Amino acid sequence: MASSAKPSPIPKQSVGPDYRPEKQKPTATVSTEVPFENVHTLSQTPQLIALLTMIRDKNTDRADFIFYSNRIIRLLVEEGLNHLPVVEHAITTPVGRNYAGVMFQGKICGVSIMRAGEAMEQGLRDCCRSVRIGKILIQRDEETCMPKLFYDKLPEDIADRWCLLLDPMFATGGSAIMAVDVLKSRGVPENRILFLNLIASPQGIENFAKKFPELRVVTAFIDQGLDEKNYIVPGLGDFGDRFYTM
Amino acid sequence: MADVVTQRAHYSPPWADVSIIGIAGSSGSGKSTLSHAIVSKLNLPWVVILSMDSFYKSLDEESSRKAFRNEYDFDSPDAIDFDVLVDRLRELKAGKRAEIPIYSFAKHAREKETTSIYSPHVLILEGIFALYDPRVLELLDMKIFCEADADTCLSRRILRDVEERGRDIKGCIKQWFAYVKPNFEAYVEPQRKVADIIVPRGVENRVAIGKTSLSSHTFQLTYGKVMVIQYIERKLIEKSKSHRAALKKLGQSSENDALSENVILLKQTSQVRGMNTIIQDIDTSAEDFIFYFDRIAALLVENALNNIYFKSVTVETPTGNKYHGLHATGETSAVVILRAGSTFETGLRRVLPDCKTGRLLIQSNIRTGEPELHYLKLPQDIRTHDGVLLLDPQMSSGGAGLMAVQVLVDHGVPEDKIVFVTYFAGRIALKGLTKVFPGVKVVVCTTVPDFEERWVASRYLGC
Repeated sequence: MASSAKPSPIPKQSVGPDYRPEKQKPTATVSTEVPFENVHTLSQTPQLIALLTMIRDKNTDRADFIFYSNRIIRLLVEEGLNHLPVVEHAITTPVGRNYAGVMFQGKICGVSIMRAGEAMEQGLRDCCRSVRIGKILIQRDEETCMPKLFYDKLPEDIADRWCLLLDPMFATGGSAIMAVDVLKSRGVPENRILFLNLIASPQGIENFAKKFPELRVVTAFIDQGLDEKNYIVPGLGDFGDRFYTM
Repeated sequence: MADVVTQRAHYSPPWADVSIIGIAGSSGSGKSTLSHAIVSKLNLPWVVILSMDSFYKSLDEESSRKAFRNEYDFDSPDAIDFDVLVDRLRELKAGKRAEIPIYSFAKHAREKETTSIYSPHVLILEGIFALYDPRVLELLDMKIFCEADADTCLSRRILRDVEERGRDIKGCIKQWFAYVKPNFEAYVEPQRKVADIIVPRGVENRVAIGKTSLSSHTFQLTYGKVMVIQYIERKLIEKSKSHRAALKKLGQSSENDALSENVILLKQTSQVRGMNTIIQDIDTSAEDFIFYFDRIAALLVENALNNIYFKSVTVETPTGNKYHGLHATGETSAVVILRAGSTFETGLRRVLPDCKTGRLLIQSNIRTGEPELHYLKLPQDIRTHDGVLLLDPQMSSGGAGLMAVQVLVDHGVPEDKIVFVTYFAGRIALKGLTKVFPGVKVVVCTTVPDFEERWVASRYLGC
């Protein structure tokens, strides 16, 4: 049905819970598979696909766009946090039962790549109440067409923290690469950076995986590719505009 | 695999076989006084009075004019729509919800609205002709005939019609001699023969006339009335006993079964385990408990939504590309099992801020432990919804959950549209629920092997 001229195969499959017979599940395009171990794609559940369908649809208004994006972002944060370390921790329950649980370890902070990345801060705060959030502003230089760092403000002790780097759209990865370089220059080890994004391109994923093999990428969906303007295909348009100004 | 398809177990809620008591007798013989005395003596929401006045036929124009001139015979069996009455009684007997018409004496017609009756354990059918129609008699568990002398009846009737039905005294007296009295002899009196108990009108005239002073203290029960109350009390105890026994038996019979594939356990990621530790830790502060419970509740609701129904759609992105995705096929609503289920509402609103939400209050009886349905308010169109999330944070014996699903099924929600969402559940309770309702899906975060006393709601709500 998708009349895309792109050569990459479109992974269309039936989506639904295990107990439901295959022919009762509707089909949808799911995330493109990539061969990198440090890339973690959210489980392609029907609900996630439905949320992505809402935010991709050009007819979805801004209120709905914000709401459905936030739901995906929360799921991304929940998944991202699973990569943080925990230690054994035994407790007693209100009814006196012993429970061999775990306790969260390690300090974290968020780092949003302005402006679209700031849209993900709410979702992070929903899961981590008083998390510190640093900001990085990277813009495309008009003359060189290359990303340029304009501004950053990061927690002073960032080298001791796990960093959740936030940017919803992961196209070529130009600004994300620059942001990671900034974090590394402040002493954050690569393996303590988690890059959270909603929609990624296979090219961006590949660039990253090769350049930062120890950094983990958590994404909701890997799309088919990029168009000539380096927009993700099919993508959802400009995330920042749809979230903030359109 | 065929053997794995578990046999459906049967669950019968305490309202499935409602006991119906018919109370007939002449106008003014004390039927409704007796009914109300019984209800106020028992003071239970499961004993409901159904007045046959609700089943007067709507009058056509001519009959209506007659009625306003007090020339229509309301005291003949022809004035009663027995077909509708029998239908409604049969629905109630089957444990279903019944829509009872509302008759307007001012308009002599049925109102558009109806009153619904659902889940009484004992129903008192009260009316002049409660023991008249053989189809009704078949449905009655006890038949009572109220008797009083004609003078008393007339005076009581005048009082009632003037005070409650806006008639004038002259009209009342006219009706009495034209219709009431002859009808009594022809149709009312003969019902005496089929009655199990005949309750004579005696010492309580004083009370009956001074209606406002009616209470169980001033009301002196005659022997017949004591019998009625004892009968109902015995019935209620029997129903409660068999309900509890059925629940127990269900637990025992499913103890060794495997957990059904319809039970979806939240993936035990390190975050989920960490949150579980905080939530279960008795030393966790109320603030942290609520924060982490809300977070996990939102995750549970997100997971529950994977079990509703979707259809393929193709949408266009702002950049002109097509995406082949999914949309939910219909509306999803939620039903909260109070009180505990209200702890899920913050999580629910994060995911579905505007979903219609029904509420039902099920409390376990302090003495017997039997779950009892006290209150019920569901979205009008719930039967048309494509997904109904039933929310209760903790399944202990599973009795409340079973009852809640039964309520939804009785209201026309298909089993396979119901997703039961719970945080903490005993596996025996889970097995029981999926055995009785094999179409229902359950999404749960944590399971324990057996029954555990409820603690989630009191931690969340602080009392």
